[in-house]
Amino acid sequence: MATEKQIETMEWAGTSPLPARKSPFSRFMKKLIRQRLAFVSGIGIIGLIIIAIIGPSIIPYKITTVDYQYVLQGPSARHWLGTDPYGRDLFSRIIAGTRISLSVGFFSVLAGAAAGTFLGLLAGFYGKWVDSIIMRICDILFAFPGMILAIGIVAILGPGIMNVVIAVSIFNIPSFARIVRSSTLSARAALFVEAERSIGAKNRRLIWRHIFPETISTIIVYFTMRIGTAILAAASLSFLGLGAQPPSPEWGAMLSSGRDYLDTSPFVTLFPGLAIFFTVLVFNLFGDGLRDVLDPKIKD
Amino acid sequence: MKRLVTSLVLMFCMLALVLSGCGSAGGTKKAVSKNGKNIVVALDSNFVSLDPQDTNDNLSFTGEKTMLEGLIGFDKNMKIVPVLATSYKASKDAKTYTFKLRKGVKFQDGTPFNAEAVKFNFDRISDPKSTLKRHSLFAVIKETKVIDEYTVQFKLSQPFGAMINTFAHPAGMIISPSAVKKYGKDFMKHPVGTGPYKFASWTQGGNLKVVKNPNYWKKGEPKLDSITFKPVPEDGSRVDMLKTGEADLINPLPTVQAKALSGKNGIDVITNPSIGVRYMSMNTMKKPFNNVKVRQALNYAIDKKAFNSIVYNGYGAPATSSMGPEVQFYSKQKPYNYDVNKAKQLLKEAGYPNGFQTTLWAGNMSQSIKAMEFLQQQLSKVNVKLKVVPMEAGTMSNKIWGVTNPEKADIQLYYGGWTPSTGDADWAIRPLLGGASFPPAAYNTAYYKNSEADKLINAALQTADPAVRQKDYAQLQTKIWQDAPWVFLSTPDNVYGMRNYLKNAYVQPDGIMDLTHAEIVK
Repeated sequence: MATEKQIETMEWAGTSPLPARKSPFSRFMKKLIRQRLAFVSGIGIIGLIIIAIIGPSIIPYKITTVDYQYVLQGPSARHWLGTDPYGRDLFSRIIAGTRISLSVGFFSVLAGAAAGTFLGLLAGFYGKWVDSIIMRICDILFAFPGMILAIGIVAILGPGIMNVVIAVSIFNIPSFARIVRSSTLSARAALFVEAERSIGAKNRRLIWRHIFPETISTIIVYFTMRIGTAILAAASLSFLGLGAQPPSPEWGAMLSSGRDYLDTSPFVTLFPGLAIFFTVLVFNLFGDGLRDVLDPKIKD
Repeated sequence: MKRLVTSLVLMFCMLALVLSGCGSAGGTKKAVSKNGKNIVVALDSNFVSLDPQDTNDNLSFTGEKTMLEGLIGFDKNMKIVPVLATSYKASKDAKTYTFKLRKGVKFQDGTPFNAEAVKFNFDRISDPKSTLKRHSLFAVIKETKVIDEYTVQFKLSQPFGAMINTFAHPAGMIISPSAVKKYGKDFMKHPVGTGPYKFASWTQGGNLKVVKNPNYWKKGEPKLDSITFKPVPEDGSRVDMLKTGEADLINPLPTVQAKALSGKNGIDVITNPSIGVRYMSMNTMKKPFNNVKVRQALNYAIDKKAFNSIVYNGYGAPATSSMGPEVQFYSKQKPYNYDVNKAKQLLKEAGYPNGFQTTLWAGNMSQSIKAMEFLQQQLSKVNVKLKVVPMEAGTMSNKIWGVTNPEKADIQLYYGGWTPSTGDADWAIRPLLGGASFPPAAYNTAYYKNSEADKLINAALQTADPAVRQKDYAQLQTKIWQDAPWVFLSTPDNVYGMRNYLKNAYVQPDGIMDLTHAEIVK
């Protein structure tokens, strides 16, 4: 959608009508379908989103239903993926956990991206001391390994899933700020921006109507790639007992509660582990493909 | 992209290989053999100190017990046996205790063991200015008198009926006076006693090694050349060490794996009842737990049998009093049978028909977390919603024992356990439920204070007559049981594992290990 907007802007700015062509969305789809793996991952993501939305209402057992007579049972017709140490149905819990992991991943990256983009635009556009201050702060945040930073933030805020979202979004800010700043720098120097400036456009208009749309494709690519990392980080924090609290069916927390049974009942950790693995994988593959389609420049 | 796909396929293959390996683990029952007489014992935590008078953790006592001995001690069933004393006598008023000492015993540094040495030990710990951690256990001793070279007499400042058991507590183990003088504060790193093994080396946070004491007074012992204790906190690593033979004994053995390990690969899994008790204390000074009906309701709301099978994998039994059945003067109480309707009814009568919300604290060991989750699940059925907060040991200690004004204590529910290493009812009740034991002084996390109970606690201490004490403690336990300052949960078993050539190594009911008679049988 954002891409369309950019095109509209160009039409509005132009003096002669553009030649007729296919809509940008269908061009995008055509390119995406050519990226097989990314396309399949995209379908996987849509599947995950559907599960996240309707999952909790179609699961066979309530996530809190315990059955102490039926603990740590392997997969069977009654419990498709087996039961956990309290006799709760693993299949139901994993399905219910999809919503938690996806929303934690999405919202923490969204918050980080919003703040990071804003800071990156300011830094790139105004330069000078604004740039120095913002980028030095980002450098400081970069100096910490992401997980350590997140653990530190949660240690200050206290455990809980909301605080994990905050922690993960904070560690996402500097990378978005840096990436948006570099796109802003090149966009600021572009001819159409200079033209706009010469007819007396205000800074705010320049930033939001002209420079920001230029950075959007980069943001989208990076956004998709970061979701996988964010889901993994949130699961790690929950694994350490800092994130979701019981009886929440968060995947990382499920992994953690099953780790004592690795020898005797490996399925308790295997299935939540596979859920994390699969989710992170599809987001990363999709992000990769998206990058090839939208922004071939940053191909490594 | 192709490389990515290839590596993914590879990863799956590896995963499949690893998992297929899991299934076929285990083997047939066979005896394993051992060369030499040196054993390795893997434990779940670090040694803190090797000075018995300055020790308050079972693990440190386990190490000390190989090198040091008390006047009297406990056997593997917590029955009192003479060790460095040959006999003892208590006066009727429970104020004077006389011990006859064993003759011809020498400390490992050559110092003779006699009444003077005993006096030195008890003067050191009962000194009012002492800052030793176990001072409170022996503070009641007013004077230690040398009657003759092998007779020593203790005068107490007040009658104390549990004194014999207190002497048997590992904190009462006798240390060499000349070594204490030589090392001063550093004695905790250079313990010298009369035991079958003598100190070889210890690095704080690392291994402890003890070697055979060739001059040990008991003929035929010790039977091993050396024992090396290794702290291995991670459950899985400890089990692996036992499986591979890197360790000859591990304690504790994780209960989840007990069944799978037992009898296989030359491993014996041994379980015995402990004197410990697991409970959830309720802050009786705070709403809603100031109402006895609420406290009883919570007792009815929890299925103790399920608690045992889920949290302890069946290695334990539902609690039947505020102490384990092996504790002296234990008396069995009428159980609060699992009954959700009765619990709801009681909550309704107490004015909480829709339940309430509260917070449960405990340590962050995986077993505690499991217990808390279980309690959370159970109480949700009577609409009591728990927020569970696992805490790191230091944080928890601050939160519970950093409170000086009981009114301001944040604690509501607390899940914990207690093992009275004197084996006596007094130490099982007074520090936990005595009116004078509020934090930070002791461990009364329920802030339970009842004048009737306090009267019984004191009465039972005024005499050494077992019949009187039996009667008082029976009444006291009934009173506590009905008042229900705790949800009485479980008395868990000790579960440990050893290679099957190792014999006569025990974990006592109080959780302290006795390796003095251990031997390798081929």
